Amino acid sequence: MIHFKDVSYTYGAEEGQLPIRAVDHVSFHVKKGSHVALLGRNGSGKSTIARLINGLLLPDEGSVLVNGMDTTDSLDIFEIRRICGMVFQNPDNQLIGATVADDIAFGPCNLELPIDEVNARVDEALRSSGLTALRDRAPHNLSGGQKQKLAIASILAMEPECIILDEATSMLDPMSRRSVMELILELKEKSDISIVQITHHMEEAVLADYVYVISDGSIVLEGTPAEVFDQFERVRAEGLSVPVHIEIARRIADTTDTYYRPEDIFSFEGAVSFVRGVIESRTSSESTGDLDAGYEIGERRGVDNASQDLDRERVIEISNLSFDYVSDAGEPVRALEDVSFSVEKGEILGILGHTGSGKSTLIQHINGIIPSKKGTVVVLGRDLSDRKTVRDIRRHVGLLFQYPEDQLFEETVALDIAFAPKQLNRTPKEVERAVLSAARRLGVESILHRSPFELSGGQRRRVAIAGVLAAEPDIIMMDEPAAGLDPSGRDELFSDLVTLVDEGATLLIVSHDMETMACLCDRILILNNGKVAGYGTPREMTSSADFLQSVSLDIPSSKRFLNCFVDLFPGLDTNCYTAEEAACALLRAVAEG
Amino acid sequence: MKSRSMLGRSVPGTSLIHRLDARVKFIGAIVLMVATLSARDVRILAVFLLWTITVMLISRIKLKLIMRSVRPLLFIIIFATLLHLFTVEGHVILQLGTIKVTREGLISGGMTALRLVLMVVNTSLFLTLTTTPLAIADALESLLSPLRHLRFPVHEFAMMMSIALRFVPTLLDEADKIMKAQSSRGADYDTGGPLRRIRGLVSILVPLFISSFRRADDLAVAMEARCYRGGVARTRLHTLKLSVIDVIFSVILIIMLLLVIVVEPYLPPLIAV
Repeated sequence: MIHFKDVSYTYGAEEGQLPIRAVDHVSFHVKKGSHVALLGRNGSGKSTIARLINGLLLPDEGSVLVNGMDTTDSLDIFEIRRICGMVFQNPDNQLIGATVADDIAFGPCNLELPIDEVNARVDEALRSSGLTALRDRAPHNLSGGQKQKLAIASILAMEPECIILDEATSMLDPMSRRSVMELILELKEKSDISIVQITHHMEEAVLADYVYVISDGSIVLEGTPAEVFDQFERVRAEGLSVPVHIEIARRIADTTDTYYRPEDIFSFEGAVSFVRGVIESRTSSESTGDLDAGYEIGERRGVDNASQDLDRERVIEISNLSFDYVSDAGEPVRALEDVSFSVEKGEILGILGHTGSGKSTLIQHINGIIPSKKGTVVVLGRDLSDRKTVRDIRRHVGLLFQYPEDQLFEETVALDIAFAPKQLNRTPKEVERAVLSAARRLGVESILHRSPFELSGGQRRRVAIAGVLAAEPDIIMMDEPAAGLDPSGRDELFSDLVTLVDEGATLLIVSHDMETMACLCDRILILNNGKVAGYGTPREMTSSADFLQSVSLDIPSSKRFLNCFVDLFPGLDTNCYTAEEAACALLRAVAEG
Repeated sequence: MKSRSMLGRSVPGTSLIHRLDARVKFIGAIVLMVATLSARDVRILAVFLLWTITVMLISRIKLKLIMRSVRPLLFIIIFATLLHLFTVEGHVILQLGTIKVTREGLISGGMTALRLVLMVVNTSLFLTLTTTPLAIADALESLLSPLRHLRFPVHEFAMMMSIALRFVPTLLDEADKIMKAQSSRGADYDTGGPLRRIRGLVSILVPLFISSFRRADDLAVAMEARCYRGGVARTRLHTLKLSVIDVIFSVILIIMLLLVIVVEPYLPPLIAV
């Protein structure tokens, strides 16, 4: 139903700026009822392709046809937009109505349907998206996942034939992401709707029928998900990640020279049974070759030695902290309940929990943005219940909110990074040194003279982080620093951040992502409904899948894979958080019998 | 957080007042405001007071909430009352040096206070407390629609208002987040001289404006993607219909206006001021 014929698109061509070719001679088609994924790193041109489909952008060369209609034909454009509904990335910026029902009615009203038909379609869309109970709510009071479901419902009310998801889940937490995907798959099952999904989450890409990998505006790799992810090194070179079970199976197949078909190891179960087959045929025979470790986001940190240095200085001590906030309805809601823990100097502490578990509230107590009322917060040996202390302590505790790039405001990157040290009344020389060193660490020293507003999203994120580091804090707290970045951007950012610890800083990272945190952190604090559900080393925190499920977190997938082999090798070290380590561990176990 | 409760103060309910057509309430509030301010006879004001108390009882809105809407204007009310109290000439009942209080001044001051309180209470009863901002926007669109013939972009105006209403809470959240973020970078919004404070505001306003422009961009694209093409022949979602109570209510309002315009001049003088 959608045909791209040799399409090119260039930004900035007419405004006299440096033209940027975002889409370069792309041809592909989407069959009716199929699910196609467009993958690629941030800035690869995927979103431009999405906007070319429904005529929000028009091609410079080539043509885009939807059900035989050309998007450049101004008479057909509204019919094309009705057929191809689009869900955008930012949940807040695409809802128009003042209530849920009004928003759904927006599209049908634009189609000039009679009012009875509009109301019928609103009811139907509410039902199929499961939002009926929220009918009269204001969009502002919905969760991120509910907002995206509403955006989908609003499109359904226009009876589309295709839904384009333009990174529609990238600003959601894993739980909401999954529930939005469930809705999409359910719709696809029930009606013959096509899905075009733009994403850099491989767990969404594996659900597609066909995958295109986009790089610099061109298609560089295509095929079924099994075929594409089989080339895991190329996929990774494109800044994407690969399902861990596929990579483990691939690595084991390569090392042991075993024949496999990509579709055999595509599913988790398939990969497990393939590896079991390899092991059974190999156990008693010759030793296996070893794999060279080389790829890793930073080195594996001391997973178990964190608690050994008992004499390390405690920089944060929180005891019996509770906090209530007042909801819009005027009732007190408990955000934190009796939270106690301590953090040692030079440690990386991961704070994990699902949305609404109290993570953000907790870190805002540590630099006094939220004053502590019940319980004590002692930072660097000083009690924060004294408001004068707070002002003084803030210079030692940096706090980075989610999407920190939203706080940039100066004319140049250098001035913005200098904001924090200037507030501390440092001398110009000191400010300059601090700016340079922060910029260097985040790899933004080459763009210091540019305006922060002309940078890409990933660069802006780095500038914002540098802006907090420039105050040279002893403790740095970050709320989801990698949110919205593609997998390689995330890995690079974390490996840059880990170097801070080598200079004596202490890091607190708030996240949903157990997989990344387990290999990065010394210790992990798990919050659930405002209470501490678990506190310990990554090994301790990931040992029970049931426990993790009870706090709505995922077990790291390499660990989940290895757990399927403990019956064969009781001594198997399952504390591996990357595919490479997991493959090594398995091969070692085979070699040792 | 506090400012949000200031904006969306409508109290949900199903009373007669809640169910009135927003256009009737909107015009009603204006009519009552004019009528109360121009009434000069105590007896007429007493009728208005009775009426306001009746509406209060029908709407079942707590007195505490209504009084909260008077509070911001308390200073003006007190000031106007005192002004009348001390400046109106007449029969002196109390004298302290050069300050004298007259009987006429006392009555006039009392009536001014009553007028202003009635005006504020009526407006908040009809508009802010029992009508959602969205309903007010719809009512305005409907009331302004005759201006369409004068090429006034009524639809665009109404769309703008409803989008603004939709985004106010979002922007407040955003401002809160940016302020916290800049405070974490050492910005200080509470102390220091005026220059330092203005400088501090820049660090909140610039990011807020920029993100608003980005939002506006995103929103425009999202609206286009949902086939929006301006006001041409869109289906009207909220059609407003007058019911029996709306008519009864309007009649009462007209009677009250007539009371002031027609009846008042012929009332036998009592203590008219």
